[in-house]
Amino acid sequence: MKYAFYPGCSSHSMAKDYDDSTKAICKVLDIELVEIPDWNCCGSIDAVYSFKPLYSIALAARNLAIAKKMQMDIVTPCSACYFTLNRTNKILREDAGTKSKVNEALANLGFSYTGSVRVRHLADIILSDIVLQKIKEKVKIQLTNLNIASYYGCYLVRPPEICNFDDPEHPTHLDKLVETLGASKVDYYGKTRCCGASLGITDEELAMKMSKDILVSAKNSGANCLATACHLCHFNLDARQKDIESRFDIKINLPVLYFTQLVGLAFGIEPKQLGLQRNWVSSRKIFPLSMTSVS
Amino acid sequence: MSHEKDKLTAEAKTIQIGVRKESKLDFIKEVMKMPGGEKILDCIQCGSCSGGCPSMFAMDYSPMQIIKMINLGMKEKVLSSSTIWVCSLCYTCATRCPRNVDFPTLMMSLRNKAIRENLVKDCAKSNFHKYFFEIVNKYGRMHNPELIIKLLDITDFDSLLHNVRLGLRLLRRGKLHLRAPKMETSWVSSILEKTDQEEFQ
Repeated sequence: MKYAFYPGCSSHSMAKDYDDSTKAICKVLDIELVEIPDWNCCGSIDAVYSFKPLYSIALAARNLAIAKKMQMDIVTPCSACYFTLNRTNKILREDAGTKSKVNEALANLGFSYTGSVRVRHLADIILSDIVLQKIKEKVKIQLTNLNIASYYGCYLVRPPEICNFDDPEHPTHLDKLVETLGASKVDYYGKTRCCGASLGITDEELAMKMSKDILVSAKNSGANCLATACHLCHFNLDARQKDIESRFDIKINLPVLYFTQLVGLAFGIEPKQLGLQRNWVSSRKIFPLSMTSVS
Repeated sequence: MSHEKDKLTAEAKTIQIGVRKESKLDFIKEVMKMPGGEKILDCIQCGSCSGGCPSMFAMDYSPMQIIKMINLGMKEKVLSSSTIWVCSLCYTCATRCPRNVDFPTLMMSLRNKAIRENLVKDCAKSNFHKYFFEIVNKYGRMHNPELIIKLLDITDFDSLLHNVRLGLRLLRRGKLHLRAPKMETSWVSSILEKTDQEEFQ
C-alpha cells in the first residue's frame, strides 16, 4: 500500500512523537508513506479561514493539487488537516464560483484542481479490516493490563458529510483496535466530547474545563490509559493535565497515548522509538505490567 | 406651526423605523450568503444545538439564541457576542441539527465579519487568527514558537509566567522546534494577491 503522506505542521514540533510512532508502525505493516513534496500549511480549521477564507481554501488546495500529480490518495495523521483538506474538496466540488477563483490563483503556480483526490485519516487506514488482521498477526506483546478509553474527539468523525469514516455519535473503530491489541475497552461519556482544541490558545481556562470533563469521565469509568488520534487532543489532555489537576484540585494521572504508540508497543518496538519519553504523564508505570509475551 | 413640527418628527420616525427594518433585513440577507448561513431561516428553535454544546456554559448567548438573534436582525449584538469566539467548532450541533443548520461554519464566517467590521471586544481572540495568518504567510508552514511569542501578553505577569513555563516545558520534551520551517515561499504572495481581489465579502 502506497499513499501520499501529508504530515501537517505539528508533526515537526508538538506531535513529533505521533510522527515517529506513525512511521515506525507503517514500516512494520508495509504501508509506504511518500511525503508530499514541498507541502504547505493547510490553513487549519478556522485559524486562517476566519481571517481570509478564500486564501485558506487556496492554501489547502495547493497541497491537494500536488498530490493529484502524484496519483495517490492522501493520508494524514492530523485530524485538523483531515477535516480541512476534505472540506476544501467538498467546497471545490460543490461551489463552482469558489472553484474557479481558487483555480485562477493556482494557475500561476502551474496547478489546477477540482476536488478529485481522496483524503483519508491515518486511523481510517490502520483501522480498516485488512490492516487490523495484519496487526493481529504482528502483535508480539499483548497489552492485557490496559483498560483503554478510546478518545475520538471531533474531526475524526464529525461533521459526517466531511469526515465520514465512523459513526459520528457512537464510533467503534478504535475500540476494535484496542481489543486486537489484547487490551480491554472502556465505555465512557467523553468519547466524542470536544477537548477545546485551539481554544487552548485563546481561552485556556475554558479548554481546561472541557478537557477535565473528558479525563475525569474516562478515569471514573475505570480507564488506566487514554488513546487518541489527534495532536491537539493529545496536547490538551496530556500536556495540560498537570495544570488541570492543580486548577481543579483533583488527581487524574491518566497516561494519554497516540493509538500509533499503542500499536508500536504491542509490536515490541522500543518505547523511545515511539516517542513515549515526550509524554508529560508518564506511561512507564502501566507498561512493564502489561508486557506479557504471546509466545 | 407646532402641528407642522409634530408631523415632521413623525415623518422622521417613520423613516428611521424604515431604515432600521431595511438594515435588519440586510443583515439577514448578508448572513444567508455566508458559508454556513444558507439555512438560518430553517431553524425551528428546537435547542438540539445548545443541549449538546460542550462550551455553552462560557457563552453569553446560546447557539439557538444566536440563530434567533440573526433572524431578528440583531447585527451588532451578534457580532460582538462572546459566543462566536467561544464556539470550539466541534460540529456536535451541526451533526444533530434536524434542519441542517451549519452553525460552526457560520461562526467562522461571523468571526471574519466581526474582524472586518472592528466589532471584536477581546483582541486576544482575533489576534490569534491574524498572527497565524502572518506566520503561514512568512514561512508557508506554522512555526509554533513565533506564534506563542506573538501572543504573549506582557502586561499580564501571571499569564506571561505561565506561558513561559509552558514553553520551557515543551522545549524540554523536544516538542518545540525553534528553527523556522524551511521551504520556498515565493508562491505564497502569488496566491494571496490573487485571492485578496476575490475574498468573500
